[in-house]
Amino acid sequence: MWSLIIWILCLLINLGLLAIVFYALLCLTDLEVDQLDPFVATANINRWILPEFVLQAVLSILLLLTGHWILFLLAVPLTCYHAMLFIRRQHLIDVTEVFRNLNTDKKHRMIKLGVYMIFFTICIFRIGAGILALFNSEELDIHSSFLEF
Amino acid sequence: MEAQEYMIMYLTQARLEYQVHEEIILGPWLSLITVEDLFMMHLFSLGWDKTIVSYGEVAFGVFWVKWNLTVSKVVLLKTMGTENPGRPTSSPFAAAPPTMTPFSASGPMVGSEASGFRPPAQPPQNTMPSISSGPVVGPRVSGFRPYNPPARFSDPSVTSPPTAYIPPTGGTSFQRYPAPQFPSAHQAPPTGAPPIGQPPFQAPAGQASPPASFRTQPPVPLVPMGSPPSSVNAPQFSSDSLPFAPRMNFQPPFPPMDSSYSTARAPLQPPLPGYVKQANAVSQAPPVTPFQAQQGGSAPPIGGIQGLAEDFSSLSLGSVPGSIDSGLNPKALPRPLEGDMEPNSLGDAYSMNCNPRYLRLTTSAMPGSQSLLSRWHFPLGAVVCPLAEAPDGEEVPVINFVSTGIIRCRRCRTYVNPYVTFTDSGRKWRCNICALLNDVPGDYFAQLDATGRRIDLDQRPELTKGSVEFVAPTEYMVRPPMPPLYFFLIDVSVSAVRSGMWSYTIASGLVHALLDMNDKVLGKVVAQTIKSCLDELPGFPRTQVGFITFDSTIHFYNMKSSLTQPQMMVVSDLDDIFVPLPDDLLVNLSESRSVVEAFLDSLPSMFQDNVNVESALGPAVKAAFMVMSQLGGKLLIFQNTMPSLGIGRLKLRGDDLRVYGTDKEHALRIPEDPFYKNMAAECTKYQIGVNVYAFSEKYTDIASLGALAKYSGGQIYYYPSFQSATHGEKLRHELARDLTRETAWEAVMRIRCGKGIRFTSYHGNFMLRSTDLLALPAVDCDKAYGAQLSLEETLLTSQTVYFQVALLFTEVLLTVKRYTASCGERRIRVHTAAVPVVADLGEMYRQADTGAIVSLFARLAIEKSLSHKLEDARSSVQLRIVKALREYRNLYAVQHRLGGRMIYPEPLKFLPLYGLALCKSAALRGGYADVQLDDRCAAGFTMMALPVNKMLKLLYPSLIRVDEYLLKPSAQADEFKNIMKRLPLTAESLDARGLYVYDDGFRFVVWFGRMLSPDVAMNLLGQDAAVELSKVTLGKHDTEMSRKLMGLLKKLRESDRSYYQLCNLVRQGEQPREGYFLLTNLVEDQIAGTSGYSEWMVQLHRQVQQSA
Repeated sequence: MWSLIIWILCLLINLGLLAIVFYALLCLTDLEVDQLDPFVATANINRWILPEFVLQAVLSILLLLTGHWILFLLAVPLTCYHAMLFIRRQHLIDVTEVFRNLNTDKKHRMIKLGVYMIFFTICIFRIGAGILALFNSEELDIHSSFLEF
Repeated sequence: MEAQEYMIMYLTQARLEYQVHEEIILGPWLSLITVEDLFMMHLFSLGWDKTIVSYGEVAFGVFWVKWNLTVSKVVLLKTMGTENPGRPTSSPFAAAPPTMTPFSASGPMVGSEASGFRPPAQPPQNTMPSISSGPVVGPRVSGFRPYNPPARFSDPSVTSPPTAYIPPTGGTSFQRYPAPQFPSAHQAPPTGAPPIGQPPFQAPAGQASPPASFRTQPPVPLVPMGSPPSSVNAPQFSSDSLPFAPRMNFQPPFPPMDSSYSTARAPLQPPLPGYVKQANAVSQAPPVTPFQAQQGGSAPPIGGIQGLAEDFSSLSLGSVPGSIDSGLNPKALPRPLEGDMEPNSLGDAYSMNCNPRYLRLTTSAMPGSQSLLSRWHFPLGAVVCPLAEAPDGEEVPVINFVSTGIIRCRRCRTYVNPYVTFTDSGRKWRCNICALLNDVPGDYFAQLDATGRRIDLDQRPELTKGSVEFVAPTEYMVRPPMPPLYFFLIDVSVSAVRSGMWSYTIASGLVHALLDMNDKVLGKVVAQTIKSCLDELPGFPRTQVGFITFDSTIHFYNMKSSLTQPQMMVVSDLDDIFVPLPDDLLVNLSESRSVVEAFLDSLPSMFQDNVNVESALGPAVKAAFMVMSQLGGKLLIFQNTMPSLGIGRLKLRGDDLRVYGTDKEHALRIPEDPFYKNMAAECTKYQIGVNVYAFSEKYTDIASLGALAKYSGGQIYYYPSFQSATHGEKLRHELARDLTRETAWEAVMRIRCGKGIRFTSYHGNFMLRSTDLLALPAVDCDKAYGAQLSLEETLLTSQTVYFQVALLFTEVLLTVKRYTASCGERRIRVHTAAVPVVADLGEMYRQADTGAIVSLFARLAIEKSLSHKLEDARSSVQLRIVKALREYRNLYAVQHRLGGRMIYPEPLKFLPLYGLALCKSAALRGGYADVQLDDRCAAGFTMMALPVNKMLKLLYPSLIRVDEYLLKPSAQADEFKNIMKRLPLTAESLDARGLYVYDDGFRFVVWFGRMLSPDVAMNLLGQDAAVELSKVTLGKHDTEMSRKLMGLLKKLRESDRSYYQLCNLVRQGEQPREGYFLLTNLVEDQIAGTSGYSEWMVQLHRQVQQSA
């Protein structure tokens, strides 16, 4: 039961992360095709960068605390990367250089999007498994323990 | 029969490849291929590497064939009916040089011997007999002595008119060329050799061992057969449409038709086009091979043919490993002593291009494909200086399309320009950039004459001139044209003493007294200059000015015209800046004139006794921004010390020796606090351009301050250890120039270019508003911008690529020179240029523009130094030069057996030197101790904005000897030209008995030789001659000599007004001043572990050869 709640929480966090990254990508693409002023675009993106970092850190801590080691190990490099960016104060998009770094920024966000998608599918899967387990706990015990990593 | 089958096989293969390249139209072309052609192809019997391009009714193709890993071009040219070789991009001809080179033979080689690099070492006579024995000799000779390429004839010794080279009987070229250089060696051969000048055409034969008939020919130094292996390429001249074409090439049996052929050819020879211009100081001079002479002569001087006649220049470096240095004659190295050469190689075909002072491309031949671009290792791009100063009479015409609106392409928004074509009897026009057919507005309609030109062409400057200026209607304005607005932000703190450093606080009591004085005088200079410029400020009746001074507080000045004295308002809350009386801080200059003057008069005395050491620059900039944001304008910051209070305060992060060479090194050169970048971005958004004047003798973190200027389209003026006695004049002139030069306000710039290519990156002082729109709040004639291109498609289909620079700006300078009303207006300045697309790498290199390349290199290297180590930035420059030279060498090396020679295209002969100078420039030189960090950053910021010619002058300054001129009794006007002879920048140029002037566009250094006659020094300096020169300024004395020198310096200054060249006097041997001012700037010398010019060349050459 608890694990189901935790997984739902993870799913929500993941949804948030996906939304943020997707929004950033959207802004960058708009910027590229001249639909958006660079000032507006960077402001929009920068507003959501710290929340993203926090959410991601929460996610990995959650995984750590609930003892999902392998998933935690999957999540922690990204957290470290975020921490590094933050410490170097490179996390925000610089409006004066935004066009020069546009492609790199987009690429980074695409990769992040992929990572979050993976987590997202895992979450969905685990929730599905959890719900099934909830309903007919006996039959699926073997399966769920198999999926318990 | 078998051969034919082969051929068909090849053709099928080729066809398959064509299908891969979609651009090809094969049909008509294929049907024209004859058996002979097929056989010739068979001769190459190598993989088809490249494509065919078809041009409508006449189809001809360009094939690339690989031969022994050397790529050379093979040409198939086939026409229907009439001959038509005159295609503009006729690559068949251009392709010729590499293929013919095998035959170039030893004639040139002898020439090189004769050119005198080291005559005693290898007596060329020895080689003669062996050469005469024919092709066998080729390889042998090259092993020990490199061939000269059959290239452009640049030997100075042969300067007689081309006709002299044309013996009626097709005389041998060895008689013509090498003879003057090397008479003794050549006396015998000519006599033995009947005038059979054209053996090289017997190329096909050369594939096998040359026919006996050739061998018997004794044209000794020529050895037409050259090297057997590469001679295979010859048959490409198969096209019967080539005027000079040796038709026998087609015939399988290859009868040796040499003599008859050559005699037939001979009368056709007109002057050689390739001959004219090479009077090089360098004896690189590979004599023209007979073949080239022939070709140049018999073919019309179309593009490709020129390519034939001119190949490359080369430089003899030691060919024997181990004895490398001995081979180099430092005197023979190419030096840009003539200054910047603007490219004009495109000639008449593109005469409607804008002047190169506005737009310079790194090469005037666009690569036609990605693969070609990948072999062009220089940056492909342009340097744009949209407002460059035009000499009188060449001003850009202003056009007012009142009735029709500005004519632009519907789709790509290109402005109407000389390259658009009118069709449909003048009712439509075709955009040259996107090829869209647009309607001609009724008011703009004009009939076309028989040739398809508009009948009103001569009244339409926009259709005849590459540079025009349109008056923009209201659609181009977001608001009425702004008044010119100047805002001055002056630091009045006692400079340089920073809190938090204990040693300083103790010493501050002492330092104050000194600095205070300095400060006071500084204030005076600024105030006086601003005052004297008031009358000249552009757009006089509307000009607005405002002032803020700041130390730890911010002082606003109310200068309303109703007041008699300015009111000062002090705001001390730095965290929450507000602007008191926002309406009266900016005043109309003409209305408040007396108040402003009163303020400026009192400014120096006002802060005389200021002991405040803090400087709240950040809040002050914010305040100024708040005042200006309504209108935009120009913000001039006079900063005396490191910003220490409020937002944007900076640490003394200092120049730490230990950081150099580590990965953290670059962090010193980028802004420490994002405040400055963000502020600059905000300023740009509100059309505020920032210029920073920095004066401190201590570290001020120019890297951070400069960001303000960099991203708002401004510039940095840096006066280290400002002393008003010495630097006052410089500041006065440069401030005056800044305020009064022609400026375009609230500008945006965009460069459009044809389909398939795109500008991908921009380099300079500006901010990008969208992917290709440069926002320039205030741009003037001293700013240039670099841009790099990339190809979007693998193949370019068009034959010409067009570029259009459009600068939309507000013109306020409507006072003296301009004629219109006084309220300012929007204008669009449009520069258009066209360049051909080529399929030949050699052509790209031959059309290269050193100035633009160096300018882009400098920008890229400086940008690189902001994210990498200095060392990396320097080596990237070197690496790219090496790569390019290697690529170029690979085009020619094998056929020519260049051995130890360094070869480069003629237009790039100065590039290695400029590359060296770039690595030794203040922005990139050395490491920790070589240049102060602030100096380095300031130099970097400055170079990012410099136009090409000023950049080149900064990199390779002029050094002139003047003592003789001064001593001569009379001074005529033409004498001035004579003495402007620039000397190589090496210590050897300095004669202890001489007096020299060094001029890099930013400062003069007058160097007094140790043994200079005391008279001269006395005359020039008066009583000061005996004193240490650091304390002396060059003033006018009442002597003839002094007047002459001052006149000379004045003339030098007038030739380049963008900066004021301050005069530094240096006596020989006076260290460290001599070293600082002059010796470190002698770029050809070995200084502090850097290589000198000749070592650099050897180094480059080695690297070029390493993997060549």
